[in-house]
Amino acid sequence: MKDVHMPNDVELITIPGNWNFDYRYFAGETASRFFAELKNSRRIMGTRCGKCRRLLVPARTFCEACYVETVSWEPVGEEGTLEVFTIVAAAFPGMPPPPFVIGYVTLDGADTSIANFIKGVDLSDIHAAGKSLLSRPRVRTVFSAEVQGRITDFHFELI
Amino acid sequence: MNARPVYLHGAATSVGWGDSRRSLTDMIFATVTDALRQSDAHMDAVDSVVIAAHDLIDGRSLSSMVTAPAAGSYLKDEMRVDEDGLVAASFAAARIEAGEARLSVVAAWGRASEGAPDSVSRVGFDPAFEKPLGLQELDISAVRLSAWLARYGDPGDSRAAATAARSMRAGRSPRALRVPSRDSVLAYPLRQAEGPKWADIVVAMIIGAAPSPVRVGGVGHATDLPRPGERDLVGMPALRQSAEMALRGSARGIDSIDLFEIDGMTLVEEALALESLGLAAPGHAFEHYALAENVNRAGGSAAAWCYPAMGLMRLAECFHQLSGTAGATQLDTAPRRAMAIGSSPLGAQTHTAVVLERA
Ligand SMILES: [Zn+2]
Repeated sequence: MKDVHMPNDVELITIPGNWNFDYRYFAGETASRFFAELKNSRRIMGTRCGKCRRLLVPARTFCEACYVETVSWEPVGEEGTLEVFTIVAAAFPGMPPPPFVIGYVTLDGADTSIANFIKGVDLSDIHAAGKSLLSRPRVRTVFSAEVQGRITDFHFELI
Repeated sequence: MNARPVYLHGAATSVGWGDSRRSLTDMIFATVTDALRQSDAHMDAVDSVVIAAHDLIDGRSLSSMVTAPAAGSYLKDEMRVDEDGLVAASFAAARIEAGEARLSVVAAWGRASEGAPDSVSRVGFDPAFEKPLGLQELDISAVRLSAWLARYGDPGDSRAAATAARSMRAGRSPRALRVPSRDSVLAYPLRQAEGPKWADIVVAMIIGAAPSPVRVGGVGHATDLPRPGERDLVGMPALRQSAEMALRGSARGIDSIDLFEIDGMTLVEEALALESLGLAAPGHAFEHYALAENVNRAGGSAAAWCYPAMGLMRLAECFHQLSGTAGATQLDTAPRRAMAIGSSPLGAQTHTAVVLERA
């Protein structure tokens, strides 16, 4: 900008801002049943695509790849394989104190992976922990004592 | 119907950090004005404006109501996308190809110093299944790297070599941020120097129907699955497909491309793209990135980064190289054909590829 807009004696102003809106997300019938199965039966369910035959976990109404409705509900195993992960180092309100592990797990019988916290990992040495997690270890689903019908009702632990 | 050829006339980039002397609209106005000047064009002759901006990054709602006129929108045929800036370039090119416009301003911006774009990415995840875990955009890059490391093992020194090459190229670029900005806390297995250099960025380009030395050869788009955990994070099929589509449009193979400018939030996306494109052998992404002189000449996200301006920034770099105006990053032999690739959050779900060629 040219000097015409900025005489020497003008203080530059910075205006603070904040957005804090409330939303309510309607999970819908399929996700609601998935969460009800967590709460009432302590089991993780998928839905199968009739076209590609994949068991999609978490359960969903349609297969995005084939663009058709899923046809049936099936439970998956309590154990699975940790496919990919990250060790989170940044603190954020509402989250566990860092470091903690989040990973995507393919539960036995499923064809897709589901994200959740991976607990029971010795994080005293991040690099040693990372190295062992890169071997795609087996994990087990562990449900919380108090279940609320949310994704945080369970986590995974190394076997 | 024959599509009309689309030419690039000029590009301007503004990169900074927290400069309180200029508002966001002042930055946009100055950069678009600069691009018009570079193109010997005047706003009176512009009949189309396409902008890429994001309400959550800008912190101003109503989808660019305040900011769009700073790009010249008043009483013009204007389109707004909340996607990567390369999508805006694609829309503008389509209008010109169709004969609906003659001269277009394409602009994209993101001002990282005003808000918290890395935190903003947390609200983009699925509210039922992934948002409660507190994931953010950079975590997906870490997850992507873990997938690659699990498949190919530790690449030894080549990751550090790629990081060093990237930082050296950024240090040479006249369009890099040279002051300290914000450091994100990166998640394992990412290393700090592999992350983005957060910046305030405005990019403007002028494209039109009148002939110029650089034209659009082809454009491609592709979208991946919604959940990051279900994508082929290493293969990046949407990136590959968008590039193949752009190459088909230009009726030439990937061997004809002399320069690749690829957007990625971190080194990981930039390097793995080379495997996805078939330029690097599987498991050799970082090695290839370190050695290739014709990949991200201006240092990629190590030079300056803020969603959603980056695809257009990569296109501007291609334009500068093709027209011999890249400055210190100019390739010794000015390339004849270049490809720019842009991507969107989260975890690069959508990709846009544009092939530019000397006319
Ligand atoms: Zn299917």
